Amino acid sequence: MDIRIQGLRFRRGHRLDLNIEELWLPSGSTTAIVGPNGAGKSTLLRCLAGLERSLTGTIAFDGVRARPGAETRRRVAYAFQQPVFVSGSVEANLDLALRLRKVPAAERSARIEEVAQLFGIAGLLDRRATRLSGGEAQRVNIARALALRAPLTLLDEPLAGFDSPTRRALLHDLPAMLRSFETTLVLVTHDRDEALRMAERLVVLEGGVVRAAGSRAEVYGRPPDAATAAFLGYTLIPGDGEVVAIAPRALHGGPGEVEFALEMDDILELGPRFEVWGTINGARASVTLTERPREGVGALVVSARSVDVRRYRLGQEAVSG
Amino acid sequence: MDALWDGLKEALRLIGTGDAGLREVAWRTIVVSGSATLLALLAGVPAGYALARARFPGRTILIGLVNTGMGMPPVVIGLVVWLFLVRSGPFGDLNLIYTKRAMVIAQFLIATPLVVGFTAAAVQALPPQLPDLLQHLGAGRLASLWITAKEAHLGILAAVMAGFGAAISEIGASMTVGGNLQGETRVLTTAIVTESSRGQNAEAIALGLVLLVMAFGVNLLLTVVQQRRAA
Repeated sequence: MDIRIQGLRFRRGHRLDLNIEELWLPSGSTTAIVGPNGAGKSTLLRCLAGLERSLTGTIAFDGVRARPGAETRRRVAYAFQQPVFVSGSVEANLDLALRLRKVPAAERSARIEEVAQLFGIAGLLDRRATRLSGGEAQRVNIARALALRAPLTLLDEPLAGFDSPTRRALLHDLPAMLRSFETTLVLVTHDRDEALRMAERLVVLEGGVVRAAGSRAEVYGRPPDAATAAFLGYTLIPGDGEVVAIAPRALHGGPGEVEFALEMDDILELGPRFEVWGTINGARASVTLTERPREGVGALVVSARSVDVRRYRLGQEAVSG
Repeated sequence: MDALWDGLKEALRLIGTGDAGLREVAWRTIVVSGSATLLALLAGVPAGYALARARFPGRTILIGLVNTGMGMPPVVIGLVVWLFLVRSGPFGDLNLIYTKRAMVIAQFLIATPLVVGFTAAAVQALPPQLPDLLQHLGAGRLASLWITAKEAHLGILAAVMAGFGAAISEIGASMTVGGNLQGETRVLTTAIVTESSRGQNAEAIALGLVLLVMAFGVNLLLTVVQQRRAA
């Protein structure tokens, strides 16, 4: 389902939580909405889910205006950030969700079995849903949303609550699992690595405003302003009337296309590699080397490819890439 | 001490032989207080749910009023109901004063704030995202109320116990609006006052024991249901 947002404003009290001029989420795409805490990410999901009534502007599903209410909600599946279940087994919770969506009984069991296998929760079906661990609850939460087979699926921080090894495994497996459902997927995360691994499109939201939107390569490769670049993990180096932004992991040791002087202050030995920390023109930066650099000989010369370096005027707009 | 012991023996004999007068008063008590509690439940659970979930101007004041109602002296409620139902009152034409219905109304007004207050507290203790989840999944208002009530059943059963306890044990309102008419509106509490004022200690003790057993029995039943669901 294709989603178009135009002139969306949402206020909570006197605060303008969302102010989106235009945003397009193509049919069948996976979009990650990223941004710092309080950026309006979850509010945007609530608006898309038809849970917020007092908004102005237009949200259109396949070209037809989706008004807040039951009709819109039926076309959306939403896994909340905090998994919430009613008392009873996991299976009873999945069944209740499908029953409320008026899925016939025979199809309900088939769908439950499908998501249970896919998300590895078959062994949890008889467990009490309110007594699951954080990771288990999150699995069931995502499985319940996808069992609804809605044209639009919203996942709010889908990997929150998992321990580190499970999270790593899911970061690898989840995109393929999600692709098996024919749905337009929107996920919210504050973790840029999660966004980059799971989604083909990125929307950077800050202060309720879309700072950047487009394909992963477009947004990540060409952040429109220094603040967006910083959020995406770029290292910002202050300069003469401009800010130089270096893409994450783009710095390497030795001379190159764009060179910088790294004033070293710490060296972390990580097995066969060395993570060298310091400052470039007062900004924290790091570079990973295969040999331990010599200390006490002044600044370390580091460099990046010009394609990985962007310059912004202090007014924030990019001047080169 | 002898009087108490003799009274207790006689009370047990009355209960054991199934004294007709005792059975009649006990049954009337169950009917009146049970009806009042049932009505309080029907009105109080949705009201408590709405109070917990809805946001509107004056909500805090309303919660304050409900909390005050939870501790309102029954005799005051009885007086208010009497003023409305008495022949010269606004609802005098209904001829409800000194009837069981008047007692049900008074006990309903005593029990309802308790049911509303306990229900609201129980619903507020549920996960705050539950209404969003139910709304998102497409539950209508009735389905949402039913599912929420099931989730808050521990608190709601506590509300029923508190409401029934308040209704069955009150005396001032029943006396004021029921008139304590023998064979008509006399219930266990008003009968105890009548018998003890007459010096009929055995009868008073028997009535008191029946009242205690009934209150304990109903609460035990509800507690069993409550704890079984909680397990």
